[in-house]
Amino acid sequence: MGRWDVRISFQTLKVLEAFLENPTGELSGADVHKSSAIASGTLYPILLRLESAGWLVSRWEAIDPASAGRPRRRLYRLTRNGLARAGEVFASFGRGVTA
Amino acid sequence: MSQKQRWFDGVVLGLIRHAAHQAPPALSARLEEEWLADLEGHRGGFARLRFALGCAWATRVIAHELAAPAGAAAASSGRTATLLGPIPPMLSRRTTVAALIGVLHVLVIVGLASGIASGVLQAPATPMHVAFVARAARPIAPPPPSDPTLVQFRPHLPTPQWTEATTGEGAITVPTAQAPTPAAAAAPQKQVVRVSGGPGRSFPNTADYYPPAAIRLEEKGIASVRVCVDGAGRLTADPVIAQSSGSARLDAAALRLAKAGSGHYLPSTEDGRPVSACYPFGVRFELK
Repeated sequence: MGRWDVRISFQTLKVLEAFLENPTGELSGADVHKSSAIASGTLYPILLRLESAGWLVSRWEAIDPASAGRPRRRLYRLTRNGLARAGEVFASFGRGVTA
Repeated sequence: MSQKQRWFDGVVLGLIRHAAHQAPPALSARLEEEWLADLEGHRGGFARLRFALGCAWATRVIAHELAAPAGAAAASSGRTATLLGPIPPMLSRRTTVAALIGVLHVLVIVGLASGIASGVLQAPATPMHVAFVARAARPIAPPPPSDPTLVQFRPHLPTPQWTEATTGEGAITVPTAQAPTPAAAAAPQKQVVRVSGGPGRSFPNTADYYPPAAIRLEEKGIASVRVCVDGAGRLTADPVIAQSSGSARLDAAALRLAKAGSGHYLPSTEDGRPVSACYPFGVRFELK
């Protein structure tokens, strides 16, 4: 795994970047896809990977699917730990040095 | 929504549900609802199909990643991992990719056969403008200049009141006296044989002085140049145009040629002796 408990790929950086644009906001997988243009086959494993590592938390959208006429969306949000780790990741890449 | 679109949407939904059911049971229901909700954000048949195929691929990746730590834990504890439920048997990545490509081909073929994709694949008819462009005229190389020849210029002279005494071929004789006095008439006349000079054998080639612009314009003609030459065949004064060829370019070229020929003239002679004299000669510029 290396320095991080999550495998940091280019696509992972793009996902984190989408969340860092609004660190306290909640994004669904479709929202992340729109901002990062990552295909679903890559996006959802990354979201689950980050959630398993504690960088993201998720919850169901608070709607009634029957009345809304559509399924509930799964909304992801950066945790405090995830925000700090994401900041460290981008800082290390910004310095161009990996210890 | 047409029947074909409903059929296509049914294929997409079926792919997503099938992919979710292939996921680990702990995640199956969640992924199905999440993916069906996110599918609403994709517009267009092919975008939705691509999303569904991506979900199928995501299932494989998720199952593979969850199987690795579960298998490691089971190996270390000697028990089967139960947290995530039974892990579906994994196909190799190559087999999965080949299967997905095959499914994609079948869907595209079915879509084309049923006409669903016709609206996507048909390019909008745009008017075709055809313009006839005149073919550029092929440049015609000007004909090479003919070997200009130097011609002896024969100026128009008033009717001579001379008496000519010609000796030898090509000789021009000049009278020595006009209206002889009775005394002179009584004395025997002394005749001087004068031969006019002209360009010598080593005189420059006229073709080298044919102006290219005159060649392109197909200008031709004869320029008469008057030169004054000493006994050694050198110019003693600047040559002048005695009679124009009708073209300023050819006249200028004739003067350049005449200047370049200094030292290559045949001097005029009097009784066989070279003397300084002025005489005209013609320069012919001619195109073959």
